[in-house]
Amino acid sequence: MAEKELLSQIRNLSVEYKTRLGQVSAVDSVSFDIYKGEILGLVGESGCGKSTMGKALMRMIQPPGKITGGQIIFQGEDIMTYDDNQMRDFRGRKVSMIFQDPMTSLNPTQRVDEHIIEAIQVHEPQVKIEEALKLAEKMIRKLGMQKRRMNSYPHQLSGGMRQRVMVGLGLVLNADLIVADEATTSLDVIVEAQLADQLKDIREEFGVSLLVITHNIALVAEISDRIVVMYAGHVMEIANVEPIFDNPLHPYTRGLLKSIPNIKLNDTEELYKMPGEPPNLTHPPSGCRFHPRCPRVMPICKVHGPDLTEVSPGRFVKCWLYIDHPEKESETIKVEA
Amino acid sequence: MSSSLRRFLITRILLTIPMVLILVTMIFFIMRVLPGDPIRSQLGPRVSEEQADALRERLGLNRPLYIQYFDFLWDMVTLDFGTALTQGERPIRDELGERLPATIELTIPAIAITALIGILSGAFAAKNRKKPIDYSIRLLSIAIYSIPIFFMGLIFQIIFAVRIPILPLSGRMDTLLLTQFESITNFYVIDAILTGNWPALRSALTHLIMPSITLGLALTGVFVRLTRVNMIEMLQSDFITAGRARGIPERRLVYKHALRNTFIPILTLLGLQFAILLAGAVLTETTFSWPGVGRYLVDRIELRDYTAVQATIGVFALFVALISLLMDIIYALIDPRIRY
Amino acid sequence: MESEKINKEIAPTPEEVPEWLLDLDKVGFVRRLFLARKWYGGDWWFVAISAVLLLFFIIVGIFPQWFAPYDPRAEVGPSLLAPGEPPASYLLITPLESGDIRFRDISDRTNNIGFIIGSAASQAMREATDELNEDAPEGVRYQPRQQRYETLEEGLQSLADGEIDGFIASPEELGGTLEDFPTLQVVSTLREVGESGFIFGTNQIGQDILSRIIWGTRIALIVGLSSAVVSFLIGVPLGLVSGFVGGPFDRILTLLMDSLYSFPGLILAISIAAVLGAGIGNIIVSIAVLYVPTYYRIVRGQTLAVREELYVEAARSIGTKWTTILRKYIFPNVIPSVVIIFSVNVGDAILTEAGLSFLGFGLPPDTPDWGIDLARGQDYVRRAWWLITYPGLMVTMVTLSFSMLGESLSEILNPRLTER
Ligand SMILES: Nc1ncnc2c1ncn2[C@@H]1O[C@H](COP(=O)(O)OP(=O)(O)O)[C@@H](O)[C@H]1O
Ligand code: SF4
Ligand SMILES: [Mg+2]
Repeated sequence: MAEKELLSQIRNLSVEYKTRLGQVSAVDSVSFDIYKGEILGLVGESGCGKSTMGKALMRMIQPPGKITGGQIIFQGEDIMTYDDNQMRDFRGRKVSMIFQDPMTSLNPTQRVDEHIIEAIQVHEPQVKIEEALKLAEKMIRKLGMQKRRMNSYPHQLSGGMRQRVMVGLGLVLNADLIVADEATTSLDVIVEAQLADQLKDIREEFGVSLLVITHNIALVAEISDRIVVMYAGHVMEIANVEPIFDNPLHPYTRGLLKSIPNIKLNDTEELYKMPGEPPNLTHPPSGCRFHPRCPRVMPICKVHGPDLTEVSPGRFVKCWLYIDHPEKESETIKVEA
Repeated sequence: MSSSLRRFLITRILLTIPMVLILVTMIFFIMRVLPGDPIRSQLGPRVSEEQADALRERLGLNRPLYIQYFDFLWDMVTLDFGTALTQGERPIRDELGERLPATIELTIPAIAITALIGILSGAFAAKNRKKPIDYSIRLLSIAIYSIPIFFMGLIFQIIFAVRIPILPLSGRMDTLLLTQFESITNFYVIDAILTGNWPALRSALTHLIMPSITLGLALTGVFVRLTRVNMIEMLQSDFITAGRARGIPERRLVYKHALRNTFIPILTLLGLQFAILLAGAVLTETTFSWPGVGRYLVDRIELRDYTAVQATIGVFALFVALISLLMDIIYALIDPRIRY
Repeated sequence: MESEKINKEIAPTPEEVPEWLLDLDKVGFVRRLFLARKWYGGDWWFVAISAVLLLFFIIVGIFPQWFAPYDPRAEVGPSLLAPGEPPASYLLITPLESGDIRFRDISDRTNNIGFIIGSAASQAMREATDELNEDAPEGVRYQPRQQRYETLEEGLQSLADGEIDGFIASPEELGGTLEDFPTLQVVSTLREVGESGFIFGTNQIGQDILSRIIWGTRIALIVGLSSAVVSFLIGVPLGLVSGFVGGPFDRILTLLMDSLYSFPGLILAISIAAVLGAGIGNIIVSIAVLYVPTYYRIVRGQTLAVREELYVEAARSIGTKWTTILRKYIFPNVIPSVVIIFSVNVGDAILTEAGLSFLGFGLPPDTPDWGIDLARGQDYVRRAWWLITYPGLMVTMVTLSFSMLGESLSEILNPRLTER
């Protein structure tokens, strides 16, 4: 890929939920970039804070949650400083979101065309109904649906069609980024593949960036350009797709890759089951949050948390294996560019 | 109408029949099997046994109970309820025909008040869940729920008819006007408009204010609660989050998207609340000397006029069943998801 | 670059979290209530306040005699005294020439006693006469004739003229007029002055309203609690059996209960109460019938849900006793709902009882009961607001306490509404 243009920068973003059991630190000091026109995969086990991250990006964390720190720079502006009106315009016009369950993410009492027209008119009240209707029709056709579907209620559509409507709702306003949170998870395999292809086409055609959030690393391998791996509210590794599959650096990424059936590190290894469970985020482990489950844990890991560090150009890892520290006894691994 | 909708309606109507049957049967047996002889208590102790027997004969009360029961059911089906035992022995159908419009005239504005206040404040409380305004609305609604409806009525009377006499104390119309009032439908408001009798219209309306507000307010308590709970659930649903992510304003999300979807469960609940409405009407009518069906029922129970009582309660049962049927049908019509 | 990382804060070790706190689902609902204080601040306070109120009402209901100043059935003062208003005292006036006499000496049937038309003097006179008759020897009956006068002057003039034997007037009515009649004197007071009156006033037959509403608490609580207990005792087992057994039995019972549930409760209660006749037991039965379906529905629903779940199937197949299934799987799930329903139920029953007695069904007419007092008060709506206001407020407050308890409990315990 040639010169990449920045779309958004997330810096030290933290989100906490207040629960009866205490503060849940669901996203802790997360940083990564999103480039124009790329498909960025955000993967991790469920409960690691992916959805929280996606919502935080649009400042949609509802109580009892709260963004407790950090910046979100979008096209050069810090959206953390936006007021409610700017934020509302930002959502939908700049960034749009698709959710996991297509059955429930459309208003059951609104027809498809009503959804689209509403989305347009909320942001551009001067647009006439007829114009909006034309736009809606165009969008529906582009998404490969028949025109008569415009008059359908959500329950009359299949899951895949509903997700396409959701995508269309994001695209009518020319959003620059679409966040797809587990958008394919509840679809069956064939439909899932279709939607995945379609997402790629959409990227080509509209030039939008896509943040694909999923626990399904195989899907990410297939459609994304770059990958962000999250664990327990921390970003563990960031890299382009090929290097990460060829040579996963972080022990967690390794475990994740080993646990998918068709991508094995080498032939001798059995299908792998990562030991232990993700931690309770009210009381995250000290030091590196992965240390209770890490096969390569060192003494220092329990005491100090490593920082996300660029170990080779465009490649970030948060692991003491690759970072120096005076208290470390073992050798630091150097990564080739 | 699609054939599937027709099938749904027919099944639904068929389901209503056993319900009415059970209620009517229950009433019959409560009135007849429980201890207490209606004829004796109606005639009083001074009437001789022969006279009592004669009356039983005349009313068919000496026949076996099951024959009486089927007779009664048949009367219900044909909507011919026989004649009352007391006060002129008029056909019950005529008596109810006079009383029913009064009750309906009272309940319609009451329902409107309830729905308006109840749904709006319930939605507002849900939107502000756990904020002080939510607690206040809820406390108020529980308080309203806890006030006996007749007490509320009496307090209104003390305030607005006695202390600051701006409204009439009770009744449906000033007695003076009533003497020359021509009643066609027995809906006084409609009749006054039909005959162009403006003073009567004014009087009918002012008489309507207190009773209907009392009845309406008394029901809001329940309604606020229902709306609130359903709205809270609705506001947690995915399509609201999705709408928010599309930049749809919060107000629109709450009052258009969520509220519209909340109407559907609320509507079914409204069907159930109808029973409370009828019970409330009995008390309101007593408080305001409103000559409706509720007051009629109480009067006739006091007189132990069991034919009239059976018939009236049967009509109530029919009403309840019909309303719940109606609600289900509306439900089916407005909710696009329903598959029959 | 390295040195920056060394200074990084050392993550704190996890604090000790009590085991039971970690798994809220395992916490019994009583303990969850205490936990709730932090999470449902407002509702927690609602629960606490209503619990305190209820405790107070229950104590009042059990020991009304500790709180009530008078016997609720006794006529203890003049009728329709406004709250706090002291009963007016009345003076007996006689001619000087009759000397030092008392009321008894001029209350024969042949005596005439005058007063102003429309004043409460007639009542004072009646009270005094009643008092005399109580102590009167066998065969003696006091009953002076009453003479009504338009004005005080007229009456006093006729007393001075010897047409009547005495005149009754309050000090206020009298004013200074007596000075114009030098031949007349005040001989005694018919009713003692200085009584502070009745805080909530008296009703139309001179009973103390405060005492009546205090004793009314007892009736309301008896009816409310017992009918709720009866509904509970019928509804819960029926729901359990219906849910467990299933089949046609379940279907018929459900239809029956649904019909009952959808019918206006008060009207059903009226019919039953009317047929059964007056009496507290009958009232309890009539009201209990109304709430059976509510318990039935919730318990049946839960039982069905639990029965569906595999673990009970498994538990049953390895021969667990059904009592164990009840105790371990069903009760824990239904108890919170049943507690909520019970609380709302008692409040509702009290409302319905008040409604029934307001309509004149149910309790014997002189029972100190809020509904009965309200019904009687309705006749005096133009004159005596206090006859209505106080009993009405009592019904409202007691019902409010029960409903507030139920409603806030449901907000705290309702799983549909709890966030994580
Ligand atoms: N509304 C909420 N209230 C409290 N905790 C929450 C809430 N939503 C998410 N969490 C917590 O935040 C963490 C991350 O959740 P989420 O972002 O949904 O993970 P993912 O999408 O990766 O499965 C989890 O530990 C979860 O328990
Ligand atoms: S920092 Fe230590 S514990 Fe964490 S992943 Fe690296 S080696 Fe494992
Ligand atoms: Mg998620």
